[in-house]
Amino acid sequence: MIKSQSTAKQRAFPGLFRSIHPLAVMVIIFAAFPAIPLIGRFLSLGTEVVIWSLFALGFNILLGYTGLTSFGHGAYFGIGAYGAAIAFLRLSHSLWLCLLIGTLVGGLFAALVGLIVANKRGIYFSLLTIAFSQMFFFIAFRWDEFTGGETGLTGIDRQTLKLVNLAVNLRNPIAYYYFVLAVFALCAVIIWRIVHSPFGRVLRAIKENELRAKYLGYNTEAYKWAAFTISGLFAALGGSLYTFLINSAYAFGLEWVQSGNVVMMTLLGGGTVSFFGPVVGAAIFITCRDLLSAYFEHWLLFYGLLFVIVILYVPTGILGAAAKLRKKHKG
Amino acid sequence: MLGTLMAFTLNGIVLGLIYAVVALGFTLILGVMEVINFTHGVLFAYGAYLAYTLQPFLGFWLSMLVAPLLVGLMGLAIEFFLVRRVYGQNPLFGLLLTFGLSMALEEVIRMIWGRVGRSVTAPAFVAGSLDLGFMLYSRYRLFLAALAILVILAVWYFLMRTPYGAVIRAGAFDAEMVMALGKNLPWMRSLVFALGAVLAGIAGVIAAPIWSIRPPMGTAILMPSYLIVVLGGIGSFWGTIIGGLIIGISTSISVMIFPRISDLVPYLLMALVLIWRPRGLMGEKSILEV
Repeated sequence: MIKSQSTAKQRAFPGLFRSIHPLAVMVIIFAAFPAIPLIGRFLSLGTEVVIWSLFALGFNILLGYTGLTSFGHGAYFGIGAYGAAIAFLRLSHSLWLCLLIGTLVGGLFAALVGLIVANKRGIYFSLLTIAFSQMFFFIAFRWDEFTGGETGLTGIDRQTLKLVNLAVNLRNPIAYYYFVLAVFALCAVIIWRIVHSPFGRVLRAIKENELRAKYLGYNTEAYKWAAFTISGLFAALGGSLYTFLINSAYAFGLEWVQSGNVVMMTLLGGGTVSFFGPVVGAAIFITCRDLLSAYFEHWLLFYGLLFVIVILYVPTGILGAAAKLRKKHKG
Repeated sequence: MLGTLMAFTLNGIVLGLIYAVVALGFTLILGVMEVINFTHGVLFAYGAYLAYTLQPFLGFWLSMLVAPLLVGLMGLAIEFFLVRRVYGQNPLFGLLLTFGLSMALEEVIRMIWGRVGRSVTAPAFVAGSLDLGFMLYSRYRLFLAALAILVILAVWYFLMRTPYGAVIRAGAFDAEMVMALGKNLPWMRSLVFALGAVLAGIAGVIAAPIWSIRPPMGTAILMPSYLIVVLGGIGSFWGTIIGGLIIGISTSISVMIFPRISDLVPYLLMALVLIWRPRGLMGEKSILEV
């Protein structure tokens, strides 16, 4: 239930920040991250957070705005990762080209699956998205010649980026962090525009009452297909960026656990109530996972229970709970 | 060649029958509660692990009775304390709740039984192989197939021929009306969830001697269950059985013919069936689509 977006953004960023666009605030916070002592040292974690934020923000077009629960978007993230890796190894070392190819390939697969699932609803929709994502996982896992099978693809390298007359050495982790952040900022603006456009309004109408939207003359299946494909494109871009972060691509990236993770992030942060929910969720989720896995042998136990607790006690996510608290506080 | 084909087909039928038992429990919970139960696979794994632990003490028959009942109790607890709270809400919640829970429960398996694989020996009275006239075939697999068929028939009888079954089927059709008619819906739902868990448990116990018992075995059987349900049609009893057999046989034969893509064949079948019949082979328009 995304009510009025303008009030939501004001509630999320009170006081000092009110006059600045919330998107800008978000980017500034991320940009300051490497400068923060202690935390700033975990730069690759930071880059991972930004990449997953991009993935989750795009995914929320489908989950939060259209109300469709895809449990298979990890596949497009993974296909994007492979697309970029294969383009790098076989075609060109240009970062731009590899990212573009990865994004388009992942988006293409999403578009194809979208054709089959767009007219399905509710649980049936989820069931099918799971099944298709697992199908892609097995293809990636078995097609040794192309995807490296179990061992995956390695030996990818970030090349120096030439911007006009400035050469940026992306092998430097900080440079890559800011590169990813720049891509993320651009995408965040695009996603913001998408969900606040007339197109986005139709998506919300579909979420509220698909039948009514249909009777108003909207081809709801085409809209659902478009939402599915667009979120798949952003997932694939995230995957492509991820390939260049870890300089490799693995079939694991396509697994359904990844799909579950992105749904969880989106929900955990409050994607159903706020535009920025997925970003908050990604930051907390990735950090939690990292901490848990560093300190506990059986961390998956806590990790799994985290899902249970969130669903039972904070189903509207952190921003949703925060808004509720503030409302209570006000009276 | 023909002999090998026969053997693989028979293996496929046995596999398909186990799949069908697991998928029956899965589709029952899906149909009545509208929850995609991710814990179903891990309950299957618990069935196998409990069989491994209990058999040295209780023997084959008794542990075959006790292990599924214990799994049923687990299912009951999961429903009563957790899943019950998300009924009627966004289907996403049930999905994520059971998804997280299955990860946690799988980790509990690793904590109790360790990461290494275990194995269960088949009981002595069905050891060795039987001469079928045209080939020799494992006695245990035949015994397993017979057990699975018995379980399937028992579930069919329960659902289609008893008053309890009628209430459950009605509940899947129109829960509110069933409540209005004075049936205790919450209890019925608990019962269905427990029954689904028992089915997963039974499948785990009887499959244990021919399965590699490892912590991720539960996740591995979950996918065939989805495929079967999608392939056969949600909420269709015989669709689930037929779907199970199709997936079992096609997996087994593709292992023989093109082993590299054997994992993939069931998915291709599903995609084909969906394009041809969007609701699955025997699926009808159901409440799940709204």
